[in-house]
Amino acid sequence: MKFWEIGKRNLKEIYRNPVLIGFLLGMPLAFMLVFCAALGGEQASPIAMSVVDEDHSQTSSAFSQILGSIEAIELNEPIYSEKSQAQEDLEDGRISFYLFIPSGFEEATQAQQTVNLELAYKAADPLIGLQLKPIIEAVGSEFLGMAPPLNVELKGTESKIKNEVVNFYAPGIAVFGLMILISTAAEIIAGDREKGFLARMFTTPARPWDFILGYSLPFIPVLIISTLIYLGVGMALGLTVVGNLGHAFLIFFLIGLCSIGIGMIVGSLIKSESQAGVSWIFIVPMAMISGAWFSVEGMPSAVKSVAGALPFLHAIDGSRAIINGSSLSAIMPDLYWLVGWAVVLFAAGIILFRRTMVS
Amino acid sequence: MNAVQTFKLTKEFDSLVAVNGVDLEIQKGELFSLLGPNGAGKTTTIRMLCCLLKPTRGTASVLGYDIAKEPFKVKKLIGVSPQDTVLSERLNCWENLALIGRVHGLSSDEVKGRSKELLETMGLMERSKDQVRKFSGGMKRRLSIAMALVSDPQVLFLDEPTLGLDPQARRAIWEYIAELKGKKTILLTTHYMEEADFLSDRIGIIDEGRVVALGTSQELKTSLLEMRSMVVSTENLTAEVMEDLRNKYSRLEMVKEKLRISHKDLNFKEIVDYLHSRGVTVYSAALEQPTLEDVFIQITGKELRD
Repeated sequence: MKFWEIGKRNLKEIYRNPVLIGFLLGMPLAFMLVFCAALGGEQASPIAMSVVDEDHSQTSSAFSQILGSIEAIELNEPIYSEKSQAQEDLEDGRISFYLFIPSGFEEATQAQQTVNLELAYKAADPLIGLQLKPIIEAVGSEFLGMAPPLNVELKGTESKIKNEVVNFYAPGIAVFGLMILISTAAEIIAGDREKGFLARMFTTPARPWDFILGYSLPFIPVLIISTLIYLGVGMALGLTVVGNLGHAFLIFFLIGLCSIGIGMIVGSLIKSESQAGVSWIFIVPMAMISGAWFSVEGMPSAVKSVAGALPFLHAIDGSRAIINGSSLSAIMPDLYWLVGWAVVLFAAGIILFRRTMVS
Repeated sequence: MNAVQTFKLTKEFDSLVAVNGVDLEIQKGELFSLLGPNGAGKTTTIRMLCCLLKPTRGTASVLGYDIAKEPFKVKKLIGVSPQDTVLSERLNCWENLALIGRVHGLSSDEVKGRSKELLETMGLMERSKDQVRKFSGGMKRRLSIAMALVSDPQVLFLDEPTLGLDPQARRAIWEYIAELKGKKTILLTTHYMEEADFLSDRIGIIDEGRVVALGTSQELKTSLLEMRSMVVSTENLTAEVMEDLRNKYSRLEMVKEKLRISHKDLNFKEIVDYLHSRGVTVYSAALEQPTLEDVFIQITGKELRD
């Protein structure tokens, strides 16, 4: 059990080092708090909307009322009957925007013809238009699909996910946190080589496998504890685990193994502890293009291809999907990538680390 | 059987020959010092004997086990204190000692017993539960030596055990090492001649990878050294007189405002008479015992601190 003694020493060197722990736990938790608190806190207050009803019909009135019943919108009273009055109020800054329902609205809806609505807003505040347009279009489509008299029933479905923002960020930032194991492992290995501690240990009757296990196994409890802390803080901030938590944990465990493997590779190749900082050149861009903080949907296809070839995107996508309710079988392609990479990277890490012993 | 024996031990790094055909025989219980300047090949020799480096040519045995063929058996029998004080900085003394002891196969109780004994001997008990990163250089060095001893090795390798320490800390370490004399076989490397002189049973002088002289301190000083030195305290010493002396004697230097003259078959009376004849006031004159540095200079033609 010589590896156990070496492993115990390495574990103590990690958890007694406030800088390492600060990076490993502090930074991801700070990200989680900032992102989730800033973007996933209380729901935004409803947007006050004004309506110009030129049609003055039962249908147009009903349509306005339906829009006003949506949680995100609060209908301003009274409803304008003249567009010019609303336009004047908009220009004078008394209202932020208005929806114009033209005359002939009822006729057009009954004839199932296209209805042109107009959303007028201040040019200086284009976000309101962008936020409301899809809502009005969605309500309008549903409304126009109904034959009069109107009987539009808005049936809200209660989502199992309490806070979608937290459910987006928490898994991504947890994977980012586990990527920091790359730097931690590299720093420990390179530091012990640079300072001669490994050489000293090589003069003892420990076998190569004692060193390999002693320098890889201590990161497993670190990985497990880090994951538990990330998920715990995520849950405290509103993370809802709809799927199987054990399956999510498996994903985090596999990406943690990948990170330890990369850390062993980097630690075996670099010459000094300070050079372990180069891992951040890899960690931060990789976290970004893997969707830890932003969706990868809008990224160029070349960037998506690079991210897709590496394990981190699969870990983030897979863990988000599991946490949001997918089954393990639904994310099998991600799982295969992760298992493959974990085996390859861990094996490469062992081979290179062993080579440092020979040299 | 010798505790350590090397056979034409050689290590080359590309075109650099760090150790060049070294033959050594160190008896059991002997404290043997390799004395030489930085870069002479001392540490490389120790690293080969500790199975950290493979020899390019030649070999060595430790207690009968070949370092290349049976490194694991060699490692079981040795304790090593490297040149750089290599400790696990965030562990305390007990934990550092336990790490080495347990890897050597000692039980928890054995480790505790040995550690207690060593911490008391080394004067570290009071700070034994502090993380060692807070220790002074001397304390770290003492702990490093304790770590080399925790497995109760038969052969101890101490690579520059007092490097960088102040004279007081150095003296303390010498005393600990002196207590081990006769109990362990010790191979010590140093570039401090007084350290080698004070501690060693025998000394090997090493330069540019070769052992150039071997013997006890006294043997080296008397048998190899033909040159004698005298120190003269004077007044009115002119440049002309100095030039005359420089032409006549092998080595002339000013040491703490005193004139030091070294020469083979030095004649004390002749020098004092000459100085008087040239009007130089001689306050005192004394013959000097030769030092290991004198030996080194005579053999290699350069000073040890080079």
